[in-house]
Amino acid sequence: MSREDDSCGHGSCGCGDDETADESFHPMGEEYEAEMREMLDDTEYDTELGMDMAEDSLRLIQGEISEAEFHEKYNEAVVEEFDVDDRPTVEAFEEMKAEEDENGGLFEKLTGDESIAEKLSNVDTEMNQSRRDTMKKMGAGAAALGLGGVASAQSSGDPKDDGYGAEPVGDTSEEGPQMGMVIDLERCDGCLECVTGCIEENQTSTGANWMYVLTYEDENSEQENFLVRPCQHCTNAPCEKVCPVRARHTRDKDGIVLTNYETCIGCRYCQVACPYGVNYFQWGEPDVPYEDLPGSENDFEELKQMPDDERNEHLTEDNDHIHDGRGQWSDMRPPQGVMGKCTYCPSRQDGHQGEEKVGTTACMEACDAAGMSAIHFGDMNDPESRPQQYLQQRAEQDFARDTELDNGEQWGETVTPWGKLSAWQLLEDLGTEPNVVYLGNQPGPDAEQIEGPVTYEQIGADDNRKEHLDQFTVGTGDD
Amino acid sequence: MSSRTPNSDDIVRPMQRTQKWYYVVFGLASLLALVWFGLWSIQLSRGLAVTNLADWGSAGGVTWGLYIGAFIWWVGIAHGGIILSAAVRLFGMKRYLPVARLAELLTIGALSMAGFYIMIHLGRPDRMAWSVIQSYPVTVHQSPLVWDVTVITMYMVMTLTYLGLTVRYDINRLRDDLPGYLEPVYKLATLGYSEREDEVIERIVWWLALGVIVMAPLLLHGGVIPWLFALLPSMPGWQGAIQGPQFLTIALTSAIAGVIILALVLRRAYDWYHILTDDIIRGLTLWLGLFGLLFIWLQLQQVITGVYAAPLDERAIAHAKISAPPYQFAIGVVILAMAYIFAQAVKPSVFSVRRSLAASVLMLAGTLTEKVLFVFEGLEYPTFDMYYNTPGHYFPSPIEIGSLVGTLALCTLFFLVILKVIPVIELHAIEELRGEGHAPAEGDD
Ligand code: SF4
Ligand code: SF4
Ligand code: SF4
Repeated sequence: MSREDDSCGHGSCGCGDDETADESFHPMGEEYEAEMREMLDDTEYDTELGMDMAEDSLRLIQGEISEAEFHEKYNEAVVEEFDVDDRPTVEAFEEMKAEEDENGGLFEKLTGDESIAEKLSNVDTEMNQSRRDTMKKMGAGAAALGLGGVASAQSSGDPKDDGYGAEPVGDTSEEGPQMGMVIDLERCDGCLECVTGCIEENQTSTGANWMYVLTYEDENSEQENFLVRPCQHCTNAPCEKVCPVRARHTRDKDGIVLTNYETCIGCRYCQVACPYGVNYFQWGEPDVPYEDLPGSENDFEELKQMPDDERNEHLTEDNDHIHDGRGQWSDMRPPQGVMGKCTYCPSRQDGHQGEEKVGTTACMEACDAAGMSAIHFGDMNDPESRPQQYLQQRAEQDFARDTELDNGEQWGETVTPWGKLSAWQLLEDLGTEPNVVYLGNQPGPDAEQIEGPVTYEQIGADDNRKEHLDQFTVGTGDD
Repeated sequence: MSSRTPNSDDIVRPMQRTQKWYYVVFGLASLLALVWFGLWSIQLSRGLAVTNLADWGSAGGVTWGLYIGAFIWWVGIAHGGIILSAAVRLFGMKRYLPVARLAELLTIGALSMAGFYIMIHLGRPDRMAWSVIQSYPVTVHQSPLVWDVTVITMYMVMTLTYLGLTVRYDINRLRDDLPGYLEPVYKLATLGYSEREDEVIERIVWWLALGVIVMAPLLLHGGVIPWLFALLPSMPGWQGAIQGPQFLTIALTSAIAGVIILALVLRRAYDWYHILTDDIIRGLTLWLGLFGLLFIWLQLQQVITGVYAAPLDERAIAHAKISAPPYQFAIGVVILAMAYIFAQAVKPSVFSVRRSLAASVLMLAGTLTEKVLFVFEGLEYPTFDMYYNTPGHYFPSPIEIGSLVGTLALCTLFFLVILKVIPVIELHAIEELRGEGHAPAEGDD
């Protein structure tokens, strides 16, 4: 996908407001429409007809015209173009209606309930193919239905699609990759290696623990529990909604939630709106000076001017660690007066740290190196990704273990392995649609943080940033 | 005293005479303002680390504190002020005409301080204008902070228009008594003035007043300002529908208290006992009591629903709130002020302007404390309450407290300057008091 987000211009930050500027009929905008047109040109079918049908089909879905009107309008043209048209005209309406109940034809799908769009969007993910390929395969018909835009509004809800039954947690994403994590708390032993890994990677200032591990006790268990807490990179991120300057935004390419260090005004509204407390403001001078950050010699404005390829090549050569693929300064620790938080390591994802680091994060690497492998980072929408594969594997394991115990439960339609997994999301009912899925115990209302087996002091980090910051307060401390 | 007949000489007196107290207050206010600018420059260079703010969550602090609390307080005074003045014009409460312009000026002064507080609060004030403007077309649809900025700007424009229009009448008639060196300013202000416009202007002002009154609860202090907090599900102390009415009553309480203080100070300074009469103060004191009562009422609602059978997170904040000494102080002083107001209503001999002054000061102290507490305590009790090991505590640092002194000094300076430029009491008010009024307002209250 090449729709790059420039975060502040009229790009596509997912604000849902961009299309007001262009003339396109399609909810995804002019650019997408052009892409569709191009695809139709590639097929043997009539481009203009396809585009017209696409436009009207959107009107149909929005209820501006009736399906009978739609088919009346295109019946002839379709017969001519495709030789056949098994779509109903007004006369055939009653007849089709009767048939529909039996086999649910295209007509039923067009009426919207069990949307064909939904089906097709599943095809898309299942086959893991780009939209372009799918559309070509479907030919003019698919394009005519304007599926791309509609599909993005639907979630894949069919429980039997992936052969593993319903997913343990709702699919929160729109189309395209959505980076996230599966964190297996049962594997975590509180070693804080991920915390160290993140601090080293990002050179965050004292107490700004972007990755934070809470050790807690719950009322009815003596046992130590852990909660590994990076940013949840929410799909419906409140931090992003409230930002007055769009510095906090979701990157289009992979759904990562980032802060544009060049435009953030430091109002800290994102921090109060985030329910998870994952934001760390740069209150004073950062511990590590700007000059020491790899990539600090690259100028943000210049980078923005470069074509994508050239920019990425340049950033890779430089081993640039602070700019992401769009040339935006949003990686590593923020400058004074600007908000920071876990970034999902975008310069790794964009290949600037070398190919081998794409798809990894520093915390996951550290956790793996410690032999724990509790953190699994990857595209939550890709069944082949590490987190999805891990979920599947854990589901199978748990299923196998359980069938041994339960004797005779059968794998199949009703018994799905997901049912055996205790997977959950943090504060799910706040509607933030977090992209971190946890396995293991969920903290209850009486959960109380206690000192962990390894303390923050032991790893050279600071658990209480307030105390640390107090020494800079003018007038009260020993200033 | 009040048997003297007010005349236009009275209202131009501040511009003709400068007494000793003026120089003293001016000097003192400038000094305090300068000290504050010195402190602010330390904050600008070292960053907000010089405050007692910190990250909430694992860091155990609060990220919003006195700056935001004081911001709401100033905005409240400003919004209450313009509502007061609009009500006087809209409902023909001629009795209060002498304080209408004071309320408008208070709005302008307080609104400027609120705007200044936004700047003080930001980590990167240097980027403010550009970043906000650049993204405005999108953010105006989603960020309550942008709604705030929009509405504050809109009200600033409305109030200035209001004042600009009404002041033309006065300047034109009092021209000869006004200081000559400001002639260019007056020329500009009365550009194209003719007596025929008076009626039109009165009608425009009436419509503006209507706009202010209608939008006050919907958009203003009953709307976007509380929405900054009320819309966030993560902080149970903030979330909820009561914040709108709560904010509005606090705003009106603060504004009336502010106007009482202003009126009393000015009548002493310029011998305006016959213009800003005891009768006006008595009436304003009663209004103060009414809004104070609403304030207490809504607090009671929140506390009761919070402690009875609320969900755990709401319960935690409600308990924390009632056991917090600042909260007890805030409610305590408001109740004290209410006791006096009630007593003087029942028994008129209890009334004295000094007591009304004290009640107003107490009310303002109470609303300021409540607002600051509301902001930081909300952040100390989030829904996600697991960061137990790092319970920080917030108390405003000297620089933060300095900002209060600084903005109060700046607001005082604003009034000292404005006293020398335009009559702070309308000519209409004088005409009304002399029985020559021709204001369109029907009936007396
Ligand atoms: S966890 Fe907080 S900071 Fe991260 S995306 Fe969600 S709301 Fe934003
Ligand atoms: S602190 Fe920065 S990123 Fe956060 S809301 Fe304010 S401007 Fe946006
Ligand atoms: S993903 Fe990157 S930024 Fe986030 S916690 Fe892990 S190492 Fe830190």
